Amino acid sequence: MKDRLKRLCFILITLLLILGARLIQLQIIQGKRYARLSDRNRIRKIVLPAPRGRIFDRNGILLADTRPTWTVAIIPTETNDSALALLSILLNRPQNELLRRLQPVSEVPAPIDILRNASFDVIAKIEENNFRLPGVLVRVDHIRNYPFRNLYSHVIGYVGEITEEELSRDSSYRLLDYIGKTGIEARYERFLRGRDGYKYVEVDARGREIGPLPEKRPEPYIPGKDIYLTIDHNLQQAAYDLISKYERAAVVAIAINTGEILCLVSYPDFDPNIFLAPLNPSQWNTLISNKSKPFYNRAISSAYPPGSTFKPLVALLALEKQLITPHAQLLPCNGTFQYGNRKFKCWSAHGRLNIIGAIEQSCNVFFYQLGTKIRVDTLAEFCHQFGLGKNTGIDIPGENAGNIPDRDFLNRRYGKNQWTQGFMLNYCIGQGEVLVTALQLTQLYSCFANGGFYFRPYLVAKIESAGQIILINKPQRFEVKINQTNLDWIKNALTRVVEYGTGQAAQLQEITIAGKTGTAQNPPNPDHAWFVGYAPADNPEIAIAVIIENAGHGGTVAAPIVGELVRYYFTKRTLP
Amino acid sequence: MKKVDITLLGTTCLLVIIGLLAIYSSASSQYLFRQLIFLPVGITGLLIACFTPRRLIYGMAEIFYGLTLLLLVLVLIFGSGPGAHRWFAIGTFNFQPSELAKISTVIILAKYLSYRRKMDFDFRTLAGPTAIVLPVVTLILLEPDLSTSISFLPMYAAMLYWQGLRPLYILLLFMPVLSFIAGFSLYFWIPFFSILSIIVFLRLRFFRALAAIATGSFFGLLSPVFLSLLKDYQRARIKSFFAPWLDPHGIGWNIIQSQIAIGSGRLFGKGYLNGSQKRLGFLPNRHTDFIFSCIAEEFGLIGSVVLLIIFGLLIYRLLLIAYRTRDQNGALITVGFAAIIGYHVFVNIGMLLGILPVTGITLPLISYGGSSLAATMTMIGFALNVAMNSE
Repeated sequence: MKDRLKRLCFILITLLLILGARLIQLQIIQGKRYARLSDRNRIRKIVLPAPRGRIFDRNGILLADTRPTWTVAIIPTETNDSALALLSILLNRPQNELLRRLQPVSEVPAPIDILRNASFDVIAKIEENNFRLPGVLVRVDHIRNYPFRNLYSHVIGYVGEITEEELSRDSSYRLLDYIGKTGIEARYERFLRGRDGYKYVEVDARGREIGPLPEKRPEPYIPGKDIYLTIDHNLQQAAYDLISKYERAAVVAIAINTGEILCLVSYPDFDPNIFLAPLNPSQWNTLISNKSKPFYNRAISSAYPPGSTFKPLVALLALEKQLITPHAQLLPCNGTFQYGNRKFKCWSAHGRLNIIGAIEQSCNVFFYQLGTKIRVDTLAEFCHQFGLGKNTGIDIPGENAGNIPDRDFLNRRYGKNQWTQGFMLNYCIGQGEVLVTALQLTQLYSCFANGGFYFRPYLVAKIESAGQIILINKPQRFEVKINQTNLDWIKNALTRVVEYGTGQAAQLQEITIAGKTGTAQNPPNPDHAWFVGYAPADNPEIAIAVIIENAGHGGTVAAPIVGELVRYYFTKRTLP
Repeated sequence: MKKVDITLLGTTCLLVIIGLLAIYSSASSQYLFRQLIFLPVGITGLLIACFTPRRLIYGMAEIFYGLTLLLLVLVLIFGSGPGAHRWFAIGTFNFQPSELAKISTVIILAKYLSYRRKMDFDFRTLAGPTAIVLPVVTLILLEPDLSTSISFLPMYAAMLYWQGLRPLYILLLFMPVLSFIAGFSLYFWIPFFSILSIIVFLRLRFFRALAAIATGSFFGLLSPVFLSLLKDYQRARIKSFFAPWLDPHGIGWNIIQSQIAIGSGRLFGKGYLNGSQKRLGFLPNRHTDFIFSCIAEEFGLIGSVVLLIIFGLLIYRLLLIAYRTRDQNGALITVGFAAIIGYHVFVNIGMLLGILPVTGITLPLISYGGSSLAATMTMIGFALNVAMNSE
């Protein structure tokens, strides 16, 4: 028994001696240092802001980076009321707003950001009043910079200050953080955003850094990843110059054998840089009250009737279903077509045409006659195969799926069986309730050009981190089962459209273009002008769609733009 | 012979008074008043434990134990606490059944062990007591309250030892658990397991040793799995101990603040009510888990060492009472209580000094909190009871 007591006491004394030894170490050996640390506001946590990832075009041209800026911050434990009052005057912000920001005081004396991207003016005033502003810091920060301003507003999108709602969804953000709001910035937020680092420093009573705190290893920041787009900057600029003459327009070009988007422009647009500084109300009001809606991405979010650009698809279906042979001629076009007791108009009297001629001349009467024979669900199902009526899956948010009417849709729209085959006549010339986006049409024509397959269109080629590739987008292929001979007839017709038909304005000397004009009826307003095509016609590389809103005929307005873009692409483009 | 153990009673009173002073200094008079309201509860517990005939207490061991299990189950269902089910909220006061569990488990364990003449490392000897401890530990683990459930292990070990089980066997019995805890970090597990293996191979026959090593390594490998199942804050605490720099704004920060407070006290301290760290609000839970930092800051090394000596004296006194009495059952209970109090003192202060992981464990008799105060005073009361009727 005695030795048990002894042993337990031995353990007890040993443990107490361990504690005592540690106490001596802390209070005597290191006591001086700890006394200094506890003396006055000794440790400060410094945020090392991580720069956001850069964005490049396919050839490495910088489209978005960060630039240095100033951020004003307050250390709640070091500031006082008079400093806050003065700061609220300097920043022109109500004092209680500043106080509210400082509310969740952490145990760690860390600076809390009050104003990011502060102007030089404000910084100068703060520095002047330095001695009257204890606990107020100005630090160098990074902020997004879009050197090409409006040019990429609909592709890259923009970043802005995080909202309360976004903050509540992801707690890893802090107030005043920037977050991607639209476009690539939003979709690829988690790659572009870096992770802020921290370091702990000892500061003296006057707030000057003495050195790092040995107990806490600093946590370095991790910069955001760099994104390389599929966009060709020169082509984007060329497309922009061509369509920005008009009031509202959009253009999309994709590389048909990968689905890479080479350019995507929607006009009007906005300067994404304005969201980085506190927005001035008049600027905002001009943007918001603009009837042309500059925030609206017309290339992917706006669905229009395809007009005559829809006809080649209908013709292909007719050949596939053997409703017609390539050489067969239908009833001659004399400018109108009588169906039931309704007259359907054509824009000219074309006479007798076969299917090639009908596409070439864009004859409505020919397609009205096909419309009497095609069932709505057959056409809808065929359209779906080519990706119409559903999202293409482009890697930016805001895509419109368009509308491909089918039996269910008509029953819902007009009441069960309250509609007739007459609906199909307008459907087959691409007017009325059939709606597509410019991107979908580009995809459709790339499928024609490829001979029966297409790729999911995408904007991000690869993502790099410190020179290491961490993600490469692989083309995603979709197959459509069609007869090659039938498709060849259609492709032949599309070539003839530019050579002899309605699309002659797109013609180039050096390269053969194939394509189709379209005029989307938009009553009571003027029609929208379409042109969709691909080039070179015999060995296609690129598909382009152009829509000019309320500009009239596709053949006159939209076709020349595609011609110019193709010329630019094949003659002046910078090689990868 | 009826004689009150003046040393034990004196150290207890001293610690309670130091505690009240420290609570006032570190928090506010409001907390002091609340603690003063708890104090009569503690004194009542002490008096009851001191003057109830021990036979009666031993006789009710099973009832206490059953009641404890019931309360532990109920607290899992109805209990509250920060991200856990640890206590019953009664008005503005909280009652922690795990405090009661400490006492009742010790009592029933002592009753069971004191019948055993010969303590060997076999199923017959160890299955029973282990079966008593295990459900309590598991239920507390489920609350979840890791540190309190671990406090049962040194208590169990001390009681087995007192009853005569060889330390090597205790080591073997605890190896799975120890290996599991050490397994949270490879850097701890490898030296721990190497030393353990050497001891086992030196002292046991080959195949037995091999089996022991195999069991140990299995539980060691289990801990990474377990770690992934833990609550975030618990994982943070464990990780923050093994690698404090990984946790820049969380718990590691508290420990640095606590060390600054303690270290800045230096030899003589800053004087009562003059601590700066806690006044600035750097320390969370400064009147509960972190109260020793305040004492060390205000009274310096001298004050801290005096406090350690008082605690040492109190625990020594408990062991001495156990040694002197002829009542083996009472002795075992006292040893169990001594182990629990010792564990709390060492783990709490060790944590604040940065040599043990941060656990939510209080400093007995000093920290703010009614359940802990009442439980500890009841333990002391029982020891006084044993001391008074030693013959």
